[in-house]
Amino acid sequence: MARVRREARIVTRDAAPTPHIAHSAAVGAVSPRDASPAPVPKLELRGIAKTFRTDHGDVEALAPCDLAVREGELVMVVGPSGCGKSTLMSIAAGLEAPTSGEVRVDGRPAGPAGPQRTVVFQRFALFPSETVEGNIAFGLTVAGVARAEREARVAEQLELMGLARFRRAWPHELSGGMQQRVAIARALAVRPEILLMDEPFGALDAQTRTVLQGEISRLRRVMNYTVLFITHSVEEAVYLGDRVVVMSSRPGRIRRDIAIPHDEPWRGLEIEDASMREEFIRYKREIWELIRTEIVRE
Amino acid sequence: MAPRRSHAEPVPTATSGGATRAWRAAWRREPGRAAWTAIAIGSLCVMLGAWAWATRPGGAIPALFLPPPGDVAASFVRLVSRPYLGSTFGAHVLSSLDVVIGGWLLAGAVGLPLGIAMGWWRRARWIAFPLFQVLRPIPPLAWIPLAIVWLGIGEPARIFVVFVAALVPWVMNSMQAVHSIDGLLVRAARTLGASDRQILTRVVCRTALPTLVAGARIALGNAWTTLIAAELLAATSGLGYIALNASRTLEMGILLVSMLVIGVLGAAFSFGMQALARVFAPWSRGART
Repeated sequence: MARVRREARIVTRDAAPTPHIAHSAAVGAVSPRDASPAPVPKLELRGIAKTFRTDHGDVEALAPCDLAVREGELVMVVGPSGCGKSTLMSIAAGLEAPTSGEVRVDGRPAGPAGPQRTVVFQRFALFPSETVEGNIAFGLTVAGVARAEREARVAEQLELMGLARFRRAWPHELSGGMQQRVAIARALAVRPEILLMDEPFGALDAQTRTVLQGEISRLRRVMNYTVLFITHSVEEAVYLGDRVVVMSSRPGRIRRDIAIPHDEPWRGLEIEDASMREEFIRYKREIWELIRTEIVRE
Repeated sequence: MAPRRSHAEPVPTATSGGATRAWRAAWRREPGRAAWTAIAIGSLCVMLGAWAWATRPGGAIPALFLPPPGDVAASFVRLVSRPYLGSTFGAHVLSSLDVVIGGWLLAGAVGLPLGIAMGWWRRARWIAFPLFQVLRPIPPLAWIPLAIVWLGIGEPARIFVVFVAALVPWVMNSMQAVHSIDGLLVRAARTLGASDRQILTRVVCRTALPTLVAGARIALGNAWTTLIAAELLAATSGLGYIALNASRTLEMGILLVSMLVIGVLGAAFSFGMQALARVFAPWSRGART
């Protein structure tokens, strides 16, 4: 927080993951090798790049990117469409291998996809053959969690996401907003260390989106998850993020990394109210400018 | 009955009152279950009536060409009450069912795992798909001469022909069912910690289940139609055998009864498989996967 220049209120630093002192409650363990007070980031993308081979030659989707997310931090990634945000997410989740670079969790190579890093997808991706309960329990079932424990955790998620009434419903019987709640509950039920959200509200109508944004903001206050959140909505990024990372157009690279302090006066407000506050608008404009120049550049 | 118009809006005419308009509106609506059944029974009754009228004594169609419904009903009673061609009617039906169920299940035992494997592992698809592309256009009946050479005239040969007829739809539909699973579900399962085997059994096969059952139903339909043809050529009992024999002896009533029973049993299979799908995949009732 010492780095925040109060006058400007917007802290911009270079793309390299400069270690900060975590402002969230949980501060990661200090690396034994490293005497500096910098905690090892919970999730670290080190120089990850992705080039797709096509019949018409190679397409560089992602230029080498460095991004570190500290424990308990919510980092929003915004950028023009087609900038490789989703590729970044797939690589972070371990669903896709980077062409170069590596993903680290707690300073160690992250390995393949697994319940340590769960993903909430834009298109919900609920299992149509499972009920709401079955979907939420999925990660626990495949891990062989005992029945009593599984039921307790599912009940906890049903309660948390307001899904108790729909526990026996099939996914296709639910609205988009309810389906995405189930997907979030499913991702949280396995108690992941890191939650990855890939434009989770992109497929929802504006009203549902507003409600769910409020829910995420509320959940954040209840639980201190480490979250990497991809969005194309600047407003959403400013509202939810502890930091907003702006990506350039293809090949995607990290252009700017903006910290949004916790003590902003609009924190805790609903998004419609928050987005009318002058300070909020200033962040929004700053980020919009960056994205606009990227779109124009293309 | 109100004439069906192609355009959506009812066109009121000078003579048509409210009743006609109500009729038209009802005719355009998607019928409910009760209405659907009523329409189905009504249409069958009308056709039966037309049949009876055309084949009445002194009617347009002589009984040798098409016997009246009453004769067919009498033939049915005759078939059921006394053995025909050395077997009771039940034995004939069972003989046919034996072959069709045997061949269909055998084809499923091979085709279902093979099709799932071909849908899931692209290497399996590369290797096995060309074979089925060649097999697919061969009419199952073209296998009869080969079946006779390999297995002689008898039940094994018929089961073999039915097996071949059912195998192709089993394999092709199972492959398609698995192949068309949304890759996002697989990714989601992977991030939730499912192993490859768990993804295949818990996600892929379960999600594909309604389509797999639909494939099984098509296979059963193919098996059934092929069975009758196989029996026409090499059998000593069965519905196809009855039909062939009746045509040779010009027992038109018996011939029609055997055909009707074939039709009714085929439709019953189809309904049965749909019911099975509802039991095993209750989520598929509303979901279009």
